[in-house]
Amino acid sequence: MHRSDDGPDGRPVSVTGGRNPEAGIVFDAVGKSFAATRGATPISAIKDVSLTIGAEQFVAVLGPSGCGKTTLLRLADGLIQPDAGSIRIFGNPPQPGPDIGFVFQSFRLIPWATVAQNVEFGLMDLDLTKAERADRVAQNIDLVGLSRAADAYPATLSGGMRQRVALARALAPDPRVLLMDEPFASIDAQTRELMQGELMRIWAQRKSTVMFVTHSVDEAILLADQIVLLAPRPGRVVEVVNVDLERPRWTFDARAEPRFMELRRHLAEQMRKLVLADPSSEFFGRDFVPH
Amino acid sequence: MILVFRLGFLAFLLLLWALAAQQMGGNVVPSPKATYLAAGRMLGEGRLIRALGDSLTVFLSGYALAIAVGVPMGILMGGFRVLGKTLEVYVYALAATPRVAFIPLIIVMLGLGVEAKMFIVFLGALMPVLINTYAGVLAADDELIEMAQSVGAGRMRVFRRIVLPGAVPFVIVGMRLGATIGLINTVVAELYTSVKGLGGLLAIYGNTFRMAEYFVVVLMLSLIGVVVTESLRYLEQRASRWRIVK
Ligand SMILES: Nc1ncnc2c1ncn2[C@@H]1O[C@H](COP(=O)(O)OP(=O)(O)OP(=O)(O)O)[C@@H](O)[C@H]1O
Ligand SMILES: [Mg+2]
Repeated sequence: MHRSDDGPDGRPVSVTGGRNPEAGIVFDAVGKSFAATRGATPISAIKDVSLTIGAEQFVAVLGPSGCGKTTLLRLADGLIQPDAGSIRIFGNPPQPGPDIGFVFQSFRLIPWATVAQNVEFGLMDLDLTKAERADRVAQNIDLVGLSRAADAYPATLSGGMRQRVALARALAPDPRVLLMDEPFASIDAQTRELMQGELMRIWAQRKSTVMFVTHSVDEAILLADQIVLLAPRPGRVVEVVNVDLERPRWTFDARAEPRFMELRRHLAEQMRKLVLADPSSEFFGRDFVPH
Repeated sequence: MILVFRLGFLAFLLLLWALAAQQMGGNVVPSPKATYLAAGRMLGEGRLIRALGDSLTVFLSGYALAIAVGVPMGILMGGFRVLGKTLEVYVYALAATPRVAFIPLIIVMLGLGVEAKMFIVFLGALMPVLINTYAGVLAADDELIEMAQSVGAGRMRVFRRIVLPGAVPFVIVGMRLGATIGLINTVVAELYTSVKGLGGLLAIYGNTFRMAEYFVVVLMLSLIGVVVTESLRYLEQRASRWRIVK
């Protein structure tokens, strides 16, 4: 059954186990505050978050809007520094670069660069010969199935294709760690399912450590080894759930498994409670009857 | 297709012109034909070409100087926030001051020759180029910058690969505005300093009521305006091929 190592008071929760016990990403009592405007009192975005993600694990971070999911990823990439606690990526402080791939919530493609040039952008910090570079680019574009659009500009692509480019760019340097921020949130349902399958295929091939942010319970269960549930304002870890479903999960209809439904019921109920308990949510204090 | 419409409109304008000439008499508005003949005469004398050469020299050198100074300065002001914050007030103040106000000062400093004219053009074209470049650098996409940082780009590379290319459309708009103002200032300079070039011809023919010749000069100026702005429009399209072409 799922593990509930710790409650909402947010003391250390450890997520280890799975295929490789070596620690890939470690958050140790991390806190981060933001001031809405310069000089305003900082508001705590995440507070006292501790979690350990094992090497080569796929961990989904699940939580309602505003619970600090993006903030966690930016911290893990070293794009921002924590106010409290520390973060380690394979034992070292996070350093943005080719070792950590980041797929953003919005695609963030360079509009004046072609698909190939955008993918090549991900390789900028690597010492490669021209031929190696071109090779890598072609290989990763092929991996996401965009070979025929290599010379197209982003403006001419569909949302799904743009997200593939962003994925190829993040994968191109062959990073040990892959951070993904709701990468499929703005893609239509059909494309999303296909992309989820492809991501699983790529992950099985590349063996990277993945931190995947989502607010979709189904997506989290379908993809992850572990699910970290966050509560909002301030963002903190509420629960860590082990997903003990067989892999690969995209080759059969995992959603029909009794275990899948059990996990979904539990997580959906938890998410609902978090939203109802959030004073800044429009559903605050309402008492919905569980279905 | 659009070319056909444009030519059609040109015919309409010519018709209006001919009508106006008929109503008001050739002494006020010369007929298209009289203007055409005057143009032939002026070309034959070599006077028009010489004036055109003078004006273009003044315009192009002043304008080139404005770009050579305005673009790097805008980039520096955008790249170093302290510098930008310090200077922007003065730049905006200068941009809001009618440049004609400086002409007496310029004449005192540089005399009535080519240098003074060039400087008047430079001063007019500089502001739009500078201000737009500055705005373009400041308008850089924060999300793209963060993406570049996550890929491992340092400050310099973020600036070179994200900020500067993103500013190009702004710079070209500034160049277009600068070209228009520069052209106006060319004529203003030729009227206020030593009377030369197309502006000079304008003064001579206007003062002596030789309206056909006067019209030739006015049309010449419009033609230069069209050529300059159209070439910049072409440049703009070249620079933004990546936008969806409908
Ligand atoms: N740069 C910032 N400046 C000010 N406040 C910020 C900043 N970044 C995040 N916050 C605040 O921190 C909290 C968490 O933000 P974050 O973007 O991490 O949430 P999220 O879980 O990713 O939300 P969503 O699901 O909507 O993407 C929010 O209340 C947000 O307003
Ligand atoms: Mg987010």
